[in-house]
Amino acid sequence: MTVQTLMHVRTGREGVLSRRTFLRTIAAGSAGLGLLGWKDTMTLHAEELRKKGMACILMFMRGGPSQFETFDPKPDTRNGGPTKAIETAVSGIRIAEHWPNVAKAMKEIALIRSMTSREGEHQRATFQMHTGYVPTGGIKFPSIGAIVASEIAPKDFDLPHFVNIGGRFNVIGSGFLGMQYAPFVVSNPSQMPLNVELPRSVGTARFSKRVGLLKDLEADFAESGAEHQVKEHQALYTSASRMVLSPRLEAFDIGKEKASVRERYGRTSFGQGCLLARRLVEAGVTFIEIESNGWDTHQDNFNRTKTLSEGVDPGFGALVTDLKERGMLDRTLVVWVGEFGRTPRINGNTGRDHYPRVFNVALAGGGIKGGQVLGASTADGTSVKERPVTVADLFCTFCHAMKINPRKENLSPEGRPLKLVDGGSPVKELF
Amino acid sequence: MRLCSSTLPLPRLAFLFAGVATLTLALPIRADESKTKSKSTSSGRTTIALEEWRKGATTPLTPREIDDLIARELGASVKKAARTTDEQFIRRVTLDLTGRLPTVRQTQDFVASKESDKRARLIDQLLDSPEYARHWARYWRAVIAAKLADQRGQILARSFEVWMTEQLKENKSWDEIVKAMLTVEGEIRYDDTGAKGMAFFLGSHMGADSAVEQAAEASRVFMGIQIQCAQCHDHPSDVWKRQQFHEFASYFARVRQRLVRDKESNRFVGIELVSLRFGEHRMPDKDNPRAGTMVSPRFLDGTSTRRGLSDSERRKELATRLTDKSNPWFSAAFVNRIWHELLGQGFYQPVDDLGPLKEAVMAPVIIRLAGSFRGTNHDIKALYRVILNTEAYQRQIRLGDSPSEHLQFAASYPTRLRADALWESLVGVLGPLGGRPGFGGGRPGGFGGGRFGFGGGLEQLFKQAFAYDPSSRPEDIEGSVPQALMLMNNPLIQQRIEARGDTTLARLLRDTPKDAEALEILYLRTLARKPTERERQKCLTYIQKASSRSEAFEDILWALLNSTEFQTRR
Repeated sequence: MTVQTLMHVRTGREGVLSRRTFLRTIAAGSAGLGLLGWKDTMTLHAEELRKKGMACILMFMRGGPSQFETFDPKPDTRNGGPTKAIETAVSGIRIAEHWPNVAKAMKEIALIRSMTSREGEHQRATFQMHTGYVPTGGIKFPSIGAIVASEIAPKDFDLPHFVNIGGRFNVIGSGFLGMQYAPFVVSNPSQMPLNVELPRSVGTARFSKRVGLLKDLEADFAESGAEHQVKEHQALYTSASRMVLSPRLEAFDIGKEKASVRERYGRTSFGQGCLLARRLVEAGVTFIEIESNGWDTHQDNFNRTKTLSEGVDPGFGALVTDLKERGMLDRTLVVWVGEFGRTPRINGNTGRDHYPRVFNVALAGGGIKGGQVLGASTADGTSVKERPVTVADLFCTFCHAMKINPRKENLSPEGRPLKLVDGGSPVKELF
Repeated sequence: MRLCSSTLPLPRLAFLFAGVATLTLALPIRADESKTKSKSTSSGRTTIALEEWRKGATTPLTPREIDDLIARELGASVKKAARTTDEQFIRRVTLDLTGRLPTVRQTQDFVASKESDKRARLIDQLLDSPEYARHWARYWRAVIAAKLADQRGQILARSFEVWMTEQLKENKSWDEIVKAMLTVEGEIRYDDTGAKGMAFFLGSHMGADSAVEQAAEASRVFMGIQIQCAQCHDHPSDVWKRQQFHEFASYFARVRQRLVRDKESNRFVGIELVSLRFGEHRMPDKDNPRAGTMVSPRFLDGTSTRRGLSDSERRKELATRLTDKSNPWFSAAFVNRIWHELLGQGFYQPVDDLGPLKEAVMAPVIIRLAGSFRGTNHDIKALYRVILNTEAYQRQIRLGDSPSEHLQFAASYPTRLRADALWESLVGVLGPLGGRPGFGGGRPGGFGGGRFGFGGGLEQLFKQAFAYDPSSRPEDIEGSVPQALMLMNNPLIQQRIEARGDTTLARLLRDTPKDAEALEILYLRTLARKPTERERQKCLTYIQKASSRSEAFEDILWALLNSTEFQTRR
C-alpha cells in the first residue's frame, strides 16, 4: 500500500466520511452536487439559510395532557366529565375552565383540535413529538430544537442556541447534529444553571489566567500527535469560557426581573421557566423548550389536571402577552404540545388513559394567525371529525413558521440522507 | 417501527454500482458464496467474502505474527511510529484494562524496572485484576444502553454490569456470555443484584416492536451486521433482503416484556420475559402496512429452523447458530470491537458494521485474528493478551511527518476516554468526590440517581455529561459545553483542586517543599508522566509570577485536569 492511498483514505475519512464535514445540509436531490463539489454547496447553503432574529419556544407537557381538560372541552357530555368550559377573548372559542390566562390571550393563539398519531407510549411519543420521527434503534434523530438551531441560529453567539428548562429525564437532544446544537439543560429556572458561575475563589482575572495556562500547556501534547484533538478541545473551551464570561449570561438570572413581572408569570417552576424563556429569546437564544411534568393522569384526572393547569396557565398566558407587548411575538413561535391525548372514556380510577388518536395543540406567534380553531374532534371526542393533522404536518408547520425547508436533508453519520421532516405538509390555514 | 428511513447514501453510490452484479445475482449469502469474492477497491479497503472468513487459520496466534501481517500490509514505504515510552505504555494499558490511571508509585516502579518482559507481565497482572472485569463490563453496558429506544430499559443496566463483571472475571467464553443473554427467561427485578443481569439485553426492549428491535440489536452487537435497514426494503448498500430481516426477527416472535407490579406497594418492581405459546412474526406488506405475511425463523445463512418451535427452543436455536464457528461474523465482530477499543481504530468503522459489502482495512489481519479467536473457543483474555503484546498496540500515537498512518495501525490513534474511565481518573487524582448523600442516590432501582446506576450525586451528573456511544466512530464523538463547564467550574471539583485542608494538593505541597519536585509528582499523578522540559519551564515561571505558591499549583492542577491529554487515551 502506498503513501498515496493512505493520504486518499485520510481525505476520505476526515474530509468526506467524517460527520462534521459531512453533516452539512444538502439540498434534496441536488443533481449539481457532483459538479459543484461539497465545499461550494455547503458554503452556498449555509449563507443562504441563516435567518436572523427568529426564535421558538416549545412548551412540552410530559405525560400527555388531556384534550378535554385543556383546549377541547366537552362539557355536559358523558366523555367530557365534570370539566366546564369558559369563554375566551375570541367569541366562539371556549376552552377548559382552568385556563383563564390563556383564554385572555386567545386573540394571539391558534388551536388545533384534530391532531392524530399512532404512538401511545410515553417514550416513543415523546421522541416523535420532539423529532417528527418514531424512534428507531439505529438513528439518533435530532430534536426540533436542534434542527431549528442548526438551521437559523446566528453563528457567532456566546450562549447555547438551544436551552431546555426543567428537563429531568430523557431530554431529547441534538442526535446526529452534534454537540454544537445540544440542549443546554437548566433544571431550575430560579437558579443560575449548573457550573456556569465561577467558583468563589476564582475571579474573572484568575479564570482568564487559568485558561491561558491551559492553552500554553497543551502545546507539547498537540505536537506529539494529537494536534487535531487539542484543536477541537480548545475550540470547545473557547466557547465554554466565552459563555462563562459573557455579559449575556445575566439572561439566565430571572432575579433581575421585577417582582410584579415574576408574579405575572406565576410563581411555579413552569411559570418562571416561561419568564426565563422570554429573557433568553431577548438575549438571542434560538430555541427554548420548557417542560411541565405530571400530565399522565391515569388516576384522579380532574383534580390533577386542575392543579397542573394552574401551574402552566399563568406562564403560557403571560408569555404570549408579554412577547406581544414587547413586539417580539411575530418573530417568536410559541408552541404548546404534549405526547398524545387521553381517552374519552373515564376509567375506574377517575382517570384517563393514553389516546394518540385525537389530541390538541396550541400555537402562537411566528406568523400564526391567532384566535382560530383548526379542525375538530367528534362530539364524543373519540376521533377526528375534520381536518386531521399528523405529527409530520405539525413539524412542517413549525418549519414553515421558522422559514425552514422541511424537505432539506441532513446526512446521518451512517451516511443516510434524512429529511428534516419526512412527509406531511404545513397547515397553511394557520398563517 | 421503521429502523431505517434511508434512501441511497450518496457517497456510496459509485461503490454500489460497482457491486450491482453481486446484488442482483446473490440473494442471501448462501446462494452466492462462491461469487462474492473479496474485492479490492481503490481506497485500499476490501470487502471480505464468507469463504475468506472461513479460510482464516484457527491456530494459536502470536503477537509477532500479527505484527508481520501488518508490516506486510503497510509495505516498505510507510514508516511506523516509535514504540511507546514506559510512561506512555503504563498509562495506556492501565486505562485500557482497568479504566484507571496508574498511581505515581506504579508509574515510577514500572519505569525503573529493568526486567525485559515487564510489559508482558504488567499486561498479565492487569488482566487478572478485578478492575479489568468491571471496566469491560461497563463497556458492554454502554454498548447495549446506547441504542435503547426506550429509556425505561436503562433500569436493568446496573444489574447487567454486575453480572457481566462476574462473567469477565471468570473469563467465560464470549459464546457462553452471548448465549446467556439470548436465552434468558423469567423475571428480573429492578433491584436485582446481578443474578439476572443477562436479561438487560432482551428485557430492555419493550412494546409491540420488541422483536424487531431485539433482532436488530442481536445482529448489530454480536455479528456487526446492520440488518435493520432491511426491515422496510431490501438493504440499499448490502446483500440483505427484507424477507431475511423478518425471518431473523421471528426468533424473537414469542417473547414479550411485561412490567411486574408489586401487589402491596402497587409499584413496578421488575420486568418479566414472557414466553407466548403461539404466534409468529408478521412481515408487514410493503404497500399496505395493515396487511402482512407470517414468517418463520430462519438464520442469515439461509438455514431454516423447524416450524412451531416454542419460544425457549427458538431462542436456543438462534443462540447456537449465531455463536457457531461456522458463522464468522460472530468472532469477527468481537475482534473488530476489541481491536478498535485498544488501538483507537477498527478494521471496519464504525465497529458494528461488517456486512458482506462493507470494506475493511487490512483484511488479512482481522481474518487471522477472528480465526484464532474461534480456535481458542472465544477466549476473551487470550485475545487481549495477543493484541496488547503486539508492537502495533505499543506504538506511539504518531510518526512525525504525516499523521495519516493512524488509520493503518502504523501508529496508535488517540481517543477520548469513556465517562467511566474519566471519572475514575478524576477520583484517582482528587480523591473521592462523594456528592450529597440522598441526592438521587436513594432507593435502588427507583427514580433519581440510582435509576441509571451511576451512584447519584456528582458521579451521576458527571457520567451523564460525558457519556457517549462506544460504537461511534472516534471522530464523531464530540466534547460538549456542559462537560467543559463541569471540569472548569463545578464547586465540588473546585474545592478538591484547592490546596486547603486535607486535599491531595495540600498534602503534596506540605510534603514536597521543592517546586520542581512537587510539579513532577503532580504531572505523574494527573497524566502519568513527568513534565517535558518546556512544560517544566512554563510551570516554574508561572509559579514564580504568582502571588502564592498554593494558588499557582491550584491553577496548574486545574489546567492539567482540563487538558486534552487528561481526557485522552494516548
